[in-house]
Amino acid sequence: MASGPTRVAVVAVPDWPAVAAGIERGDASGPVVVLHAQRVVARTAAAAAEGVRRGMRRREAQAACPSAHVAPHQPVRDRAVFDPVVRAVSELVPLIEVPEPGTIVLPARGPSRYFGGDGPFTALLATAVSAAAHGARAGIAVADGRLAATVAAHHCAGGPPLVVPPGGSAPLVASLPVSVLAEHAGIDADAVSLFERLGIARLGDLAALDEAPLVARFGPLGADVRRLALGDDRHPPLVADPPPERTFACTFEEPVEDQRAVAAACAPVADELSAHLAAHGACCAQVHVSIATDHGEQSDRLWYEPAGLSAAALVDRVRWQLAEWVEGRGPTSGVVAVRLFPVALRPLAGGQAGLWGGDARCDDAAVQASERLVAMLGAACVAVPEWRGGRDPGRAFVAVPVTAVDLRGRAASPVVPREAWRGSLPVPAPSVVLDDPPEVAVRGADGEPVTVGGRHELSGAPSCVVDGAGEWRVLAWAGPWPVEERWWDERRRRRMVRLHAVLGRDGAAPQGVVLALESGRWRVAARFG
Amino acid sequence: MFATLRGMGDAPPPRALTDLRADPRLRTLTTLPDLRSAALPVGDPLGGLLPDGLVRGRTVACSGDAAVSLVLHLVAAATQAGSWLALFDDGRVGLLAAHERGVALQRTVLVSPPRDPSSWSSALATAVDGFEVVAAFPPRGASPADLRRVQARVQARGAALVLVDPRRRVPAGQADVVLATRTRAWHGIADGAGHLESRDVEVEVAGRRTARPHRAVLRIAG
Repeated sequence: MASGPTRVAVVAVPDWPAVAAGIERGDASGPVVVLHAQRVVARTAAAAAEGVRRGMRRREAQAACPSAHVAPHQPVRDRAVFDPVVRAVSELVPLIEVPEPGTIVLPARGPSRYFGGDGPFTALLATAVSAAAHGARAGIAVADGRLAATVAAHHCAGGPPLVVPPGGSAPLVASLPVSVLAEHAGIDADAVSLFERLGIARLGDLAALDEAPLVARFGPLGADVRRLALGDDRHPPLVADPPPERTFACTFEEPVEDQRAVAAACAPVADELSAHLAAHGACCAQVHVSIATDHGEQSDRLWYEPAGLSAAALVDRVRWQLAEWVEGRGPTSGVVAVRLFPVALRPLAGGQAGLWGGDARCDDAAVQASERLVAMLGAACVAVPEWRGGRDPGRAFVAVPVTAVDLRGRAASPVVPREAWRGSLPVPAPSVVLDDPPEVAVRGADGEPVTVGGRHELSGAPSCVVDGAGEWRVLAWAGPWPVEERWWDERRRRRMVRLHAVLGRDGAAPQGVVLALESGRWRVAARFG
Repeated sequence: MFATLRGMGDAPPPRALTDLRADPRLRTLTTLPDLRSAALPVGDPLGGLLPDGLVRGRTVACSGDAAVSLVLHLVAAATQAGSWLALFDDGRVGLLAAHERGVALQRTVLVSPPRDPSSWSSALATAVDGFEVVAAFPPRGASPADLRRVQARVQARGAALVLVDPRRRVPAGQADVVLATRTRAWHGIADGAGHLESRDVEVEVAGRRTARPHRAVLRIAG
C-alpha cells in the first residue's frame, strides 16, 4: 500500500487561453485578454502588467489596457495550440496527464531516475517546452503532491525550473494562503472565502486543525482540504488491501474507425472495471487509458479525478482521448484495442441513494441510462425539469442539464411548485406549449379584429380565428387573463392578455387553445393536445 | 418462558448461509427472469380502459387530438409508484400540465430527440435500458424497422413504451395497444365566462394485443 503523496512534475503555462490566442495571432508576447461571458478569464503577462485582472468586465479591462487584443474564449483553440507542447513532453515521458490545456502533470520518479535526477530532468523538460510553446512563460516544478508542484510551477513561470526536495513540500504548502485551494486544487471558491472569514489564512492553519471538526462542519470537503493542507493528494488513500490486478481491455477483430463505436464498445469494459473495484470497496482516482491502432500507433494518457471515476466517466475519458488524438496528429488506421489500467485507487464513496423512498436499483439504472444518453447526444440534450414559476405555462419549468444536478438526490423530494402565481392561467394547464407560436387573426362577429383596451377589456367577443390552415369558429371563450410584468423596466416589461377558447370547424374535433395578445399580435400560445 | 427457549435449543442449528446458497431449490429462484410485477399501475380515469395497467414489454400508442393529455394521465401513476420516465420531446409537452396530471417530475428526464429516425431509435433503445417508462413522439420518416428495434429492446428489458402519436405515424398493428382519441365536448367554459376545465374524450382501444376493439367516453381534466 503506497502512502504519502506521489512525486510529480508539473508543466504549467499560466493564463494559457490568452497565451494561445496570442500565439495564434503570431504575437506571443503582446497584451491579450480572453473574455468569457463579458468577464476576463485569462490575460497575458503584458496585459497583467497594465493592471488587467481576472474577473474584470470588458470595459474595465479595455480602460486598463487599451492596446490589448480582446479574444473570445475558445477551448478548441486552447487545445489545438497546446498540442505541440503535449507532443514535445510525451516524447520525453510517454505517459502524461493533461488536466486542462496549459497544464501537464507527469509522474516524476521514473523519469528523474532515467535522466539522472530532478535537475537534469526539469532542464530537459524546459528546453522541450519552450521550443514548442513559442517561448511562452512556462513554469516547471517537481514536488511531492500535485498541489505543491502546481503552485511551484505557477510561481516559477518564466524562470528556471523549481525542484522542491523530497519532504520539502509539507512546509512549502503550509506557508501558502488558502486561496491557492480555489486557484489550483479545484476547491469551491465559496468554501475558501469562508475559511478566510473564519480567520484561517494559511494552509498551515488548516493543517493544524483536527480532522473531526472539519468533517463535522464541511463534510467530505473538510477531509479533502485537510489532506491538501498537509501536502497530500486530494483523494483519500485506500485503507483496505487493493483488489487483485486485472487487465480490462476491449479488443476489436476488425479496426474500428468510428469514435462513437469505440466508446460504446468500451462501456461494458468500464462497467466491469468499476464493478470489480466496487466489489473491493474501491474506485478509480487515476486511470491509464491506452488506445492502439491497427498500424501499431498508440496513445497513452493518464486521467485523474479525486472524487473517483464512474464507469460513465471512464468512457468519457476514452472518448476525449480518442477525439484529441484524432484532432491532433491523428492515427492512420482504425482502433484495434483500448486498455484501461487503474493507477490510483480511492475508497468508494457514496452510492447509497434510495434511503428516502424510491427503488434504489431503479434509480441507479435510470442514472446510468441518463449518463449514456449524455454521452450519446451531448449534455445539452438530456435535462430535468426545475421549477421556476411565472405566469406563462410554457416557462413554469426550466430544463436543467442532468450533468448539472444530482439525479439520485433529486428523486427523493418532489419538484413541486409552492403556490400558483397571481395572474397565472387557471388549472388545468395546456398540455402542448408552443415555443414559437404562429400568428393568427382573431375577429369579432362584425369581422373587425378584436383588440384590448387600457383596462384589459376586449373590444368585442371573438367569433372566428384565422390561421395558416384556414378559419376556425370560436365555439366558446373565457378570459381575459392579463399579464403586466416588470412594468418598471423599460426593456424587459411585458404586457399581454390571454384567453381560453374552444375552436371548431366542420369535421374536426373541438380544439381547446390559449390565445395570447401581445404587442398587437394574437398567437395560439398553447393547445390542449 | 425458559422452557420454550430450551425447546428451541433442541432444534437442529440453523444452517450457515453458505449452505443455503448451495441449496438447489434456492438456485431456481435466481433464474426466474424477473421478480418485478408484470405491469405498472395506471390511475383514473384510464384504469377502467386498461385493467391490466401498463404491461412491461409492451407498446402503447396514443393517437388523435387528445393524445398528449392522455399520455400524461397514462404515465402519472407509474412515476408516482417509483418508476423513472424518459420523455423524448423537443419542448412541446407542457411540464406544468404534466405536474398537474400527477407525473412525478423528480423522476422525469427530458431528452431532446435526434432528428433522424435511426439515431432516434438507438437513443430510445439506450433509454429503455434504464427507464421503466419511455414516452416519445415518433419522428417523421420512422420506419417500422426503427420501431421494431426499440420494441425488441423494450421486451428484453421489461420497460413500457408509450408513443405519443397525434399525427398517426405508427403503422396499424405495430403497437400492442392503440388508444385513438377524439374530443367530443369541452366543459366549464361559456361565452366569456368560466375556463377550460375538462373534456369528454372518446377513446377507442385497439391494437394487436386487444381481443376486441371497444370504445368508451372518458371525462379527463384538460
